[in-house]
Amino acid sequence: MPRKGKKSFQVNEKQLGYLMVLPAILIILAVIIWPIGQSMYNSLFDYRLNDPERSQTMLSSEVDLERYIDNHFFLEGTLEDVLETAEGEPWQEEAESAIGGISEYHEQLRNEDEVAERYETVEEMVNSFEVVADQDLKYASIDSDLSESYEEALLNAQDLMNEQAVDADEEDESLFMDASSQIGAVDRALLSSNFIGLSHYTNYFQDSRMWQSLANTFIFTGISVALELFLGLMIALVIHRAFIGRGVVRAAVLIPWAIPTAVSAMMWRYLLDGQSGVIAHYLEQLNLIGDSSTMLSTAIGGMSSVILADVWKTTPYMALLILAGLQTINYGLYEAAEVDGANKLQRFFFITIPMLKSTILVALLFRTLDAFRVFDLIYVLTGGGPANATEVISVYAYTTLFSQQNFGGGSALSVIVFLCIALISIIFIKLIGSDLFEGKTGNS
Amino acid sequence: MNKKAGLGFYIFLGIFVFVIMFPFIWVFLTSLKPLDEIYYSFAWFTTDPSLNSYVSALTTRPLMTYMANSIIVSSLTTIIAIAVASMAAYALTRLPIKFKGTILGLVLASAMFPPIAIISPIFNLINDLGLRNSYPGLIIPYMTISMPLAVWILSTFFKKIPFELEESAKLDGASPFQTYRKIIFPLAAPGIFTTAILVFIAAWNEYLFALTINTQDSARTIPVGISMYQSQYTVPWGDITAATVIVTIPIVVLVLIFQRRIVAGLTSGSVKE
Repeated sequence: MPRKGKKSFQVNEKQLGYLMVLPAILIILAVIIWPIGQSMYNSLFDYRLNDPERSQTMLSSEVDLERYIDNHFFLEGTLEDVLETAEGEPWQEEAESAIGGISEYHEQLRNEDEVAERYETVEEMVNSFEVVADQDLKYASIDSDLSESYEEALLNAQDLMNEQAVDADEEDESLFMDASSQIGAVDRALLSSNFIGLSHYTNYFQDSRMWQSLANTFIFTGISVALELFLGLMIALVIHRAFIGRGVVRAAVLIPWAIPTAVSAMMWRYLLDGQSGVIAHYLEQLNLIGDSSTMLSTAIGGMSSVILADVWKTTPYMALLILAGLQTINYGLYEAAEVDGANKLQRFFFITIPMLKSTILVALLFRTLDAFRVFDLIYVLTGGGPANATEVISVYAYTTLFSQQNFGGGSALSVIVFLCIALISIIFIKLIGSDLFEGKTGNS
Repeated sequence: MNKKAGLGFYIFLGIFVFVIMFPFIWVFLTSLKPLDEIYYSFAWFTTDPSLNSYVSALTTRPLMTYMANSIIVSSLTTIIAIAVASMAAYALTRLPIKFKGTILGLVLASAMFPPIAIISPIFNLINDLGLRNSYPGLIIPYMTISMPLAVWILSTFFKKIPFELEESAKLDGASPFQTYRKIIFPLAAPGIFTTAILVFIAAWNEYLFALTINTQDSARTIPVGISMYQSQYTVPWGDITAATVIVTIPIVVLVLIFQRRIVAGLTSGSVKE
C-alpha cells in the first residue's frame, strides 16, 4: 500500500525496500558473482602471468603495441644495414624479398582498425619512455591470418639471417645476429590467441596430483566433520544441565573458535614438532606413535595432525550449536515419554535426535563447507606435505595460481573446488528443505 | 536443565576445559622459557623465566604493525558491511519487496563460495586498481566474506522485532526510513552489535586474501604475519610462542567480554526459536 506523502518527492515502502537492498546486492555481484564468472572464463585459456606472450586472455590474435613499436624501430634500421651488406652478394634477391615481405606486413598491420587507432599514441609514449599501463591501449586485436603470415615471414627472415651468420666475417656476423634477435623480439610482440577451451579440465582429469588432492580434501572433510559432530553431540549432552561455572566453560569453548586458524595452525606445528613438540613427545611416550617425528613427517601422521588441529578448533563450536538446539526442546516431551514407559535410549532416539535434526543439518552444512574449503590450516601446518600427502584441492589451486603463476590452470582447479562446493550445498539444502529460510523472509 | 551436576560431572568438565586450553597453556609456558630449555626439555615449568622471547618477537618482526593493520582493516570492513547489510536485512525482513527468497538464496550461496574460486580475478582487480599493499586492497575482498554473513545473521535478528511497533509508528505518520532509523535500528542494536563482533572476528582471521594481496611486511595482517616468523632453516619457537600469546590476547579479551552475544549470534542462524 503506497503511502501518500506530503512532499511530492517521496518513495513508497516498496521502492525504499529495493533501494535498501540494492547496495548489498551490487557489492555481492561485484566481489563474488563477477569474479567466479571471471575464474570460469580464465580457465578456458592458457593464461600465465610469467609469460609475456600469454599474460592475458586473448580470444583472437593480438599485438602488444608497446613491445612491437619499441622493437620494430630498431629492426627497421638493422634490416636496412642488412640490405646494404647484401648488395652484390648471391643472396641479395632472397634478402630483398624477405625484408620486403616484413615491411609489407608491417604496413598491413598498421592499417588494422584497432592498431591504426592506437599506434601513434603508443608510439609517442614509447618515444618518451613512458610505460603503457593502460591494457586497452597496449593490446590491439588483429586479424589472425595476418598475424600468422606475418610471423611466418619473420621466421623466414630470421632463418636467412642465421644461415648468413655462419659464414660471415666477424662484423657481418654480429649484424646478422642482431637482426635475428630483433626479428625474434618483434615476433614475440605478435600474440596468438591462447584460448584452449576445456583442455585444462581434460588435463586435470588425468592428473594424479589433482585426484590425490581431491581425495585428501574428501578424507579431511569426512573424518574431521564426523569426529566433530560425534564429539560435539556428546559434549553438548553432558553439559546440558545446570552447573556452576558455565561462563568459564563458554569462554574456554569460544577461544579456540575465535583465534585465527593460521595462529592455531602455528601452535599445532609447535606442539606436534618432531623435536620440540610436547604432544608428539607424549604420544611417543604412550607408544601411540613409533617416533615423535611421525606426526609431521609421514603421510598418515600429517593427515592425522591436520584433522586433530581442526577437531580441536571446531568441536567446541559444534557443541555450542547443538547445545543451543537442545535448549529449545520442550522438557514436557521427555516427561510424557517417561510416563509412557520409554527408556533413556528410546527418549534419545525418538525425541532428542528428531528434534535436533534441523540444527544438526545446518551445523553440518556449514562445517562441511568450511572443511572442504580449508586452506590456511593446511598451508601453515604442513604446507601440503609431507610429499603432498595433505595437499587439499585449495592448496593445489593456490600453488598453481601464485607459485607457478599459471592463472589458466589454477582457475580451472578453483572452478573444480567451486563445483564440488555447489554440489555439496545442493545435497544439504535438499535435506534441510525450507527450514533454512524459516524466520527470515517475514510473512511470506 | 534437568540433571543435577555431581562430582563426576565437574571432573569431566575440568578435563574437558583442560584439554581445550592445553595448547594455550603450553604455548604460554614455553614463551617464558629461556631458549635452550625450549628445544631440549619437556618440563612444564621453567626455573628461570625470562621475557627474552617477547623482546625478540617484537623486534625481529613488526608485530605491532601487523596488529595495527589487522585492527584497521577489520574495523573498517565491519563498519561498511554492517551499514550496507543492515539496510538490506531490514528491507528483506520487513518491507513488501518481491524476490525475497531469490535474494536470500543469493546471499546464502555467496556465503558458501570458496575464496579460492574468486582469488585470481580479485587479485587482478586489486592489482589493476593499484591497491596492493593498502587497506582498501583488503577491505574490498573482505566484503566477500563479511557481506553475506552480516545479511544472513541480521535478517534473523530483525525478524524477531515485533511488527506492532512499526504499525504504530506508521500510524503516527513516520516514513519507512524514519521507522527504520528511529524504531528498528535502536531495537535491533544488540543484534547489530552481535553481528558486528562476528564479522570483525571473520575479517580478523582471514588468511588467503591477506597472503596474496598484501605481500609487503608493512601491510601484512596478523594471521599472515605470524606464519612469517619461520625462516627456511630454523623455526624460532620462542618468538612464535611469544607472538602467539601477544596476538591472542585481544581475541581473548573480546571473547571474555562478549561471550554471551557471540553465542547468541552463532546460534541464531541454526536454531529455530
